[in-house]
Parts: sequence; structure tokens; C-alpha cells
Amino acid sequence: MTLPDAMRLTQMLLALALLQQSLEHLRGFRDERALFLARAVLCVLVLVGVASPWPLTAMAALSLLILHRFQGPYNGGSDRMGLLSLWCLTLASLAPSTPLKELFFGYLGAQLVLSYFISGWVKVVNPEWRSGRALRDVFQFSAYPVAESLRALAEQPRLLTVMSWAVMGFELAFPLAMLTKPTLIAALVVAGTFHLANACLFGLNRFFWTWLSVYPAILWLQSRLIP
Amino acid sequence: MPNPLQLLLPALIPSWNFFDVIAPSPRVEFAVTSSAEAAPEAWREFRPRPHRLTPGTMAARMLWNPRWNESLFLVSCAERLIDNPTAHSEDEIFKRIAADLARGAETAEGWLSFRLVFVAREDQAILREVLFEASPRALAEIDVR
Repeated sequence: MTLPDAMRLTQMLLALALLQQSLEHLRGFRDERALFLARAVLCVLVLVGVASPWPLTAMAALSLLILHRFQGPYNGGSDRMGLLSLWCLTLASLAPSTPLKELFFGYLGAQLVLSYFISGWVKVVNPEWRSGRALRDVFQFSAYPVAESLRALAEQPRLLTVMSWAVMGFELAFPLAMLTKPTLIAALVVAGTFHLANACLFGLNRFFWTWLSVYPAILWLQSRLIP
Repeated sequence: MPNPLQLLLPALIPSWNFFDVIAPSPRVEFAVTSSAEAAPEAWREFRPRPHRLTPGTMAARMLWNPRWNESLFLVSCAERLIDNPTAHSEDEIFKRIAADLARGAETAEGWLSFRLVFVAREDQAILREVLFEASPRALAEIDVR
């Protein structure tokens, strides 16, 4: 995948992810509706490819107003990845030279690798994650399970220990998948399935769409680093 | 109040420490009383989760999940109220409870209070502790538009 193709595909997928989020906000309060209606229009312009890169630039500027409105990200990590992607794509689009474009877009791909590896590292150094206790806590009392019936999974300690190690092992091994294109594609399929499970069990649908939208950046980075 | 660039910085240089520790988890409870002086007694959990979700509902929520995402935002507001209290977080929780009440079948009149109950595990026991209780506000004065 060439740099322009990868950037364009990432822009389109991000625009779709942010459009989905924006439509959800149109049922909110008046000030939210105004901000997210504007963002929805900009998402459509990015999708269509009109007046590039200005709709993307306007979305980056609008993201500051949205951050101010909610005094931070609305939905934690998924919003942060959306912001990172938006600003990297904007800077890469505005950059006057190819090396600078590669730097900003490559940074996005590198952060995606780190998002998995660091998440695995901070878990594996915690004894409660290694014993499966932390994942039991997630199901037993955290705010995330979407239904009370899912809390019964906390009574399956062996299963949760296996699941904990599967998640930590996958996240820690993710950088190795960068060695070849087939291993990276296989890892992204597994990662996408992981995000899908999180969306179903914990209602984190925004994570699924936002992380998937950045996958072209990591595919491009892999081919750039190991041609 | 931090400026937007300060809020943007953690997104541009992220920490990615998702779920590193499972912290005490907030639940928002609310009560409506007839006067500001009346002590709230009948606390109700705000948006209790359903007992069960069908696979179809889970699939639909992949594309349309505003209510749950709003509930997750309230979890953030609750955590902010404990870690770094601001009027913004308190206002957001009041507005979203009042908006739900205004949409509901019951008459939304009187004074609204909310409290934050944090659920945590200590050894094998699950403990609940009230860490914040907001002063009541007149429902009629909360802008829900």
C-alpha cells in the first residue's frame, strides 16, 4: 500500500468511525448537537474527499472545542485514539514534504503497536492480572459488563485466568507480528476479534471502530520498515 | 479549568495503560425530594443495567449505543468528582439524570440529589462506600435542553 493510499483509507475509516459517534450525540443536549452536527458534516466531506485537507483540518480544530465541552475525552481511550489519529492524519496531510508525512503517519502506526504492547506490559507486572483476579474483578463489580448476567463469569476463575493470559500474551507478542505481512494481518484479525468481544461484553463499540480505522496505518508502516 | 491543548496532550502522547489496576467502581444513585431540606431516603441506581442482553441487541449496539456511552461518560465524571472535583462534572451528572426524569413517565418535580457509591473488593468481600453526595437542586432549574 502506498503512503497516499494508506492515508486516504485511514481518513475514510476514521471519518466513518467519527460519523457513527457524532450521530449518537445528535440525541444529546443542544450544545452537543451543534458540535456533533458540524462534525458529522465534516466527516461526510472527508469521506467524499472534497476540499482536502481542509475538512480534516477543521475536524482537528473542532476536536479542541469538543474536548473543552466535556473537559476531556467523552469516552476515555477510544476518544484518545480517535484524537491521535485525527491529528496525525491532519499533520501528515498538511506536511510539505514526504519524509514529514511519513513521520506523522508512521507515528500513528507506531502508537497502535504501543497501544497493544503497553496494555499487555502494565497487566503482566500486576500479580492480580497474572492470577486472573483482576479480570474477575472486572466482571464482578466494575461498571463495564453490559448485563447483570455477565457477572456470573466472575465465578469461573480458571476460565478467567486463561483469558487473562491469552490477552496479556497476545498484547505482549503483538510487536513480533510486525516481522512479516501475513503475521501482521493474522494479528490484526485476532485484535479485531478482541475488540469485538469487548464491544459485546462491555459496550465499548467506539473502541472497535476507532482501532480498526487505524489498521491501514500499521499495515503501511510494516511494509515501510520491512519492504 | 485546563485549556483544550492541555486536554489534547494525553491523546497525542498516550499512556495506553488500560485496566492496569481495577479501581473502585462508581455507581450513581439519585433521589427526588419535595424540598431542599428533606433528607433523601429512597435512593435509586441511575440506569441499572439489564439482567440479560440478547445477541441481537449486542449487535445493534455496535452501531447505535448512545445511552451506554453516556453512562460511561458519567462514570468518568464520577471518578473526576473524587479525584479532581469540578462544577462541570457535578453539572453533567445533574443534567443527565434530570433529562432522563423529564423523558420518563413520572412527574419530574421537586429537588434532585445524587450520590456516588464506590464498589470495591477487599480480600473476598465486596464493599460499597458513599464517597460523594451532591447538594440538592430544584429540578425546574436544571436545563435539560
